[in-house]
Amino acid sequence: MPQFADVAVASGRVPLTWRRFRYPQSLYKYGALLGTLAFIAFALDYLSIPLERLPGMLGRMGEMLGRRYFPPNIGHIMNADYWHSVVETLQMSYLATVLGITIAIPLAWFASFNMTPSRRYLYPVARLIIMGCRSVHEMIWTILLVAILGFGLLPGTLALTLFCIGFSGKLFSEAIEAIRPGQVEAIRATGANNLQTFVFAVLPQVRVAWTGITIYTWDVVFRAATVVGFFGAGGMGWYLRESVQRVASKDVAAILLSIILVVVISELLSAWLRTRIARAIA
Amino acid sequence: MSSLALDANVGSIDARVDAIAAGRSRARKWRYTSYFVILAVVVWTVEAIVIADTDWSRILTGSLLTTLGRFLELDWSLVPDLWEPAVETILMATLATLGGLLLSIPVAWLGASNITPFGKYSYAVGRFLMTMSRSVHEIVWGLIFVSAVGLGALAGILAMAVRSVGFISKTIAEAIEDVDPKPLEAVRAAGGTKFQILWFAILPQIIPVFVGNMIFEWDINIRRSTILGLVGAGGLGLVLFRQMAASNNGGIAVVILAILALIVFGEVVSYYARKAVI
Repeated sequence: MPQFADVAVASGRVPLTWRRFRYPQSLYKYGALLGTLAFIAFALDYLSIPLERLPGMLGRMGEMLGRRYFPPNIGHIMNADYWHSVVETLQMSYLATVLGITIAIPLAWFASFNMTPSRRYLYPVARLIIMGCRSVHEMIWTILLVAILGFGLLPGTLALTLFCIGFSGKLFSEAIEAIRPGQVEAIRATGANNLQTFVFAVLPQVRVAWTGITIYTWDVVFRAATVVGFFGAGGMGWYLRESVQRVASKDVAAILLSIILVVVISELLSAWLRTRIARAIA
Repeated sequence: MSSLALDANVGSIDARVDAIAAGRSRARKWRYTSYFVILAVVVWTVEAIVIADTDWSRILTGSLLTTLGRFLELDWSLVPDLWEPAVETILMATLATLGGLLLSIPVAWLGASNITPFGKYSYAVGRFLMTMSRSVHEIVWGLIFVSAVGLGALAGILAMAVRSVGFISKTIAEAIEDVDPKPLEAVRAAGGTKFQILWFAILPQIIPVFVGNMIFEWDINIRRSTILGLVGAGGLGLVLFRQMAASNNGGIAVVILAILALIVFGEVVSYYARKAVI
């Protein structure tokens, strides 16, 4: 007696080999693949990218980096002026984070859908401010503020503050939207007003998350602070710009290395702090 | 905290009250000290940034308003020349996202703890590559690649691709670590090779996460590509750089408005694309 499977195969209704995609899906799949390839070809052509230079590129890149950037001129960054600029970068990132967080806290409160005091007016306005700060790249803020206020640390700090508001405001309000409503109802039942509800029901719940976000924000702001100087705000980026304009490649290499180093240190520090604080508070 | 609770449970009620009060006063001291330190550092930085480094006489003598006014005299004659760089910016961001995706696959494979090929060594390599990519700012990547491959769109694409690797590969690696192990077992039981396990058991599970994050990264890359022109990669940033070099403030304002329009466009597209996928 033939098995059902044998009959099905023999009748040709079920294919012998298994495939993940059959006729209509496979057509869509290959169509999408073809479309993507066509788009890549079009884009490469439109941007006139020298594809023929790509194969030997890695080798040539290594060779050129080795010839022009090696050895990095460490002497260029081993002086008091440069060290002072590192301290300035730290100061900028610190002040920008403190200022940005201070502004972001009420904004995040207004911009969280569940806790906002007024869904009609404050919520859209606060959302708009946070989104506006977020969607403009921090370097564009820097360029604008440098053009208005002149060179110096102040425009850099303000640009980083705006960046910080956008970055932490979004994360803060998301943390508020994830809280449990029980405490809020309990506090409200005692006759508390909006501010009291925020302070006694919301803040204790988001404290740990916000502390972690604050440290992470500082980390990201510091990363941006190392380069805002490139557009005329002070700090390490100012030295980078000056060396790039002199085409002093070995100095540039030394500065880039120092930037990467301090950023990695800040990242390790922030990761360590975040785990420590999460453990201490919890 | 736990030792305190233990102390409070033994002994008389007075001892317990004393222990709790002591704990509270210690916490209060600790809190006030940290407030004081934060405030002291704020004072120090404000002194350095706002007082010592800023030329207030120049800002307050009214030149601020004249500069602002110059930005408001928008130079609309620039608009016809902006279409091509805008398209260039979008194409650069798209190619960079695809390139970043290609580069991310091996990095995610190394950095996902459940499929990494050589135990904790290759895992450490994968994680290190992710951190490097994320922790270096795109302007710095841009400078490195401009000096390596010359001015032009290619440098910008490579810079953004390398910068994207950190985020894309980290999310892919996390998605891989979270996959349901049953399909893996099924493919292995059917005699599948390691590659077949990846292709038939892991890939279908991570595709949704993956596509959503790609769209998100594309949105961010549009934002990045608008400024990479400032260090010599093409697109709207290059136009902005030229206007800055010519100190044509009205032109700068128009280019920045164009960049904003482009970013809003990217955000709207990515919002609907993600909605369609998820």
